[in-house]
Amino acid sequence: MSRFEKVNSKVVKVQLGAPVVARRGSMLAYSGQIGFTPHGVPGGMGGGMGGFGGLAGGLMQRAAGEHVSMMEAHGQGEVHYGFRGAHITLLDVAPGQQLQVEAERLLAHDSSLQTSTVFLGSGGIRQAISGAVTGQGLFTTQLSGSGSVAILSHGGTIALPVTPQSQVAVDPQAYVAALGQLSVEVAAKVGWRDAVGKGSGEAIQLKVTGQGTVYVQASERKL
Amino acid sequence: MAPTILNPSTLPSDDNVNPYAFCIELRQPWFLRKGAMIAYYGQASFEGLAQTSLSAMVAARFSSPLYAQQWVVAQGVGKVVIGDRGYDINSYDLDAGNLTIRAANLLGFETGLELKQSIVPGFLTLVGTGKFLASSNGPVIFAEPPMRVDPEALLGWADCPSPSHHYDTGWMQGFLGSMAHAVLGVQSGEERQFDFTGAGTILFQSTEVPRPDPAYLAQLESQVTGLGVPGLQRLQTVIGQRLAAEQQH
Amino acid sequence: MAQFRMNGARVLEAHLAGDAVRALTGSMVAYEGNVQFKNAGMGGGGGFKAALKRKMTGESLELMEMAGHGVVYLASEGMEVELVQLTGDTLSVESSALLAIGPNLRTDVAFAGLRGAASGQGLFTTTVSGHGELAVLSDGPMIALEVSPAYPLVVDPDAFIAHRGQLNQTFVTDVSWKSLIGEGGGEAYSLRFDGSGVVYIQPAER
Repeated sequence: MSRFEKVNSKVVKVQLGAPVVARRGSMLAYSGQIGFTPHGVPGGMGGGMGGFGGLAGGLMQRAAGEHVSMMEAHGQGEVHYGFRGAHITLLDVAPGQQLQVEAERLLAHDSSLQTSTVFLGSGGIRQAISGAVTGQGLFTTQLSGSGSVAILSHGGTIALPVTPQSQVAVDPQAYVAALGQLSVEVAAKVGWRDAVGKGSGEAIQLKVTGQGTVYVQASERKL
Repeated sequence: MAPTILNPSTLPSDDNVNPYAFCIELRQPWFLRKGAMIAYYGQASFEGLAQTSLSAMVAARFSSPLYAQQWVVAQGVGKVVIGDRGYDINSYDLDAGNLTIRAANLLGFETGLELKQSIVPGFLTLVGTGKFLASSNGPVIFAEPPMRVDPEALLGWADCPSPSHHYDTGWMQGFLGSMAHAVLGVQSGEERQFDFTGAGTILFQSTEVPRPDPAYLAQLESQVTGLGVPGLQRLQTVIGQRLAAEQQH
Repeated sequence: MAQFRMNGARVLEAHLAGDAVRALTGSMVAYEGNVQFKNAGMGGGGGFKAALKRKMTGESLELMEMAGHGVVYLASEGMEVELVQLTGDTLSVESSALLAIGPNLRTDVAFAGLRGAASGQGLFTTTVSGHGELAVLSDGPMIALEVSPAYPLVVDPDAFIAHRGQLNQTFVTDVSWKSLIGEGGGEAYSLRFDGSGVVYIQPAER
């Protein structure tokens, strides 16, 4: 595995041990002998697309509602990652835990982690709502196994613990990630639409239940 | 309110107020980027480079007509607070040295320094002795060559030779294999970097949403000479494609 | 009684104990417990009259009321949050910088003087007064600058957040200010403060 270390609130430095997968365009600088190759779609749909960013892979990604391409860094040395000044939160995924994160907020992770694309919400009309609200399709990326992950937010994140006794409701625009054994569901809150007055999408909120931590950013802005 | 209440005697002198604001104690003239001043105490005046009474000094120190529109000379006595988009602000002291910095991030410099346009478009070089101020999206990261940096993350460099382009080996192999024209082109820092060698210091930051730089545009425009009709037609096609791609986003 | 607490520099926790707090509409990023949200209109203290005044002046401030038992996490645009204590005095604040207002505070609209026509901020400013606490947004950590008869202060209106005390505010357009306005625009006037008080600014232009 590779060693992830935050240089400051907006830049992470990775000492390459094993290959690292990161959002395309997020490599800021590197030293050493390092090569970059396009990486398959999370979920293994376009696993060995190779070549030039793989047109087929790209289509697969579009079809899956994920339009973020990833690059794999391999070799020996040190890579700095960051993305448009967004704040970075470093997380460690332990065996038995799942990290759910929107594909656009995934900056970099150990290639040893398994990624898959999962539905947000539990079916039917809820999916449609979730797509409309988050504006990024019906899918979210799930990582499991053991390793480090760097995620992006606007303004940094706060970590809110969730237990079976205390659930948390989150504004979909401020939702960043959920770590542990958590279920994230779309729910309409009675009275919330009234507070907003415009039906601007904030009539919808995400209900997080289970055991773990939900990460929320200090902003309603997407990346 | 929580923050300490400051006044002209407690504001720092030529130092940071916090990581995102800097206070200049005005005693001698400074070159300032328009819009960088957010507050001031005292008798300070700001003049456009074409209007100032210090025209001889400006001509000698500000050797970049392209950027002249974006700068003023501050004179007088007082404390001037500088801020830029909530970005981190650093001050640098040059002692008979030189440093090249991204033009959009340079906020001010003392008149002991001379400003020149770098060969690398969008960058300015400061030469001489004095202090200057530059902003960055997050704290500046300092590193030493050999290193390769995404051009969009590069903030500047000092002492080492100007960078050259480096293309990822795998990318080059693919490029040569597919014979060029089928390729979408270089779009991200993973495929092309600025390669720094020799001894010196590199400054970089997280990438930023670029601030529109009219001078950079003018610089590019000025290079579109001697291309002839075929060259210009080719450029028009390329720009058309880029425009369509950008507008789709 | 409801309490405000900071969670880092950019998120405000409003702890509700059965009472109500007003906050910027849309600023809830998460909450726990049993909380009701409803539209609190334009934040005028005097109901219909204040609402009318806001409509006429173009000073816009959309607030929601949060009531119940629980914790509401509030934030906006990744901006820093500063808590302000009022002890019977008045804070004049840019309405776009208001995040949350404690239970016992009043908001109103006040005439701020004649501004340049280029300003999108209107000719009026929001005032908050009473005894209690409010939360103000600042793009980067807020800077507090003292004004006294010995040292007046000039401020870029795009960086201005709030002021309190016995201050006289004037809008100045002179040659010096005009030369500072860049190609990217900016206000056609600067703000000059005379008197005795404190001016709060942010290290960024709006």
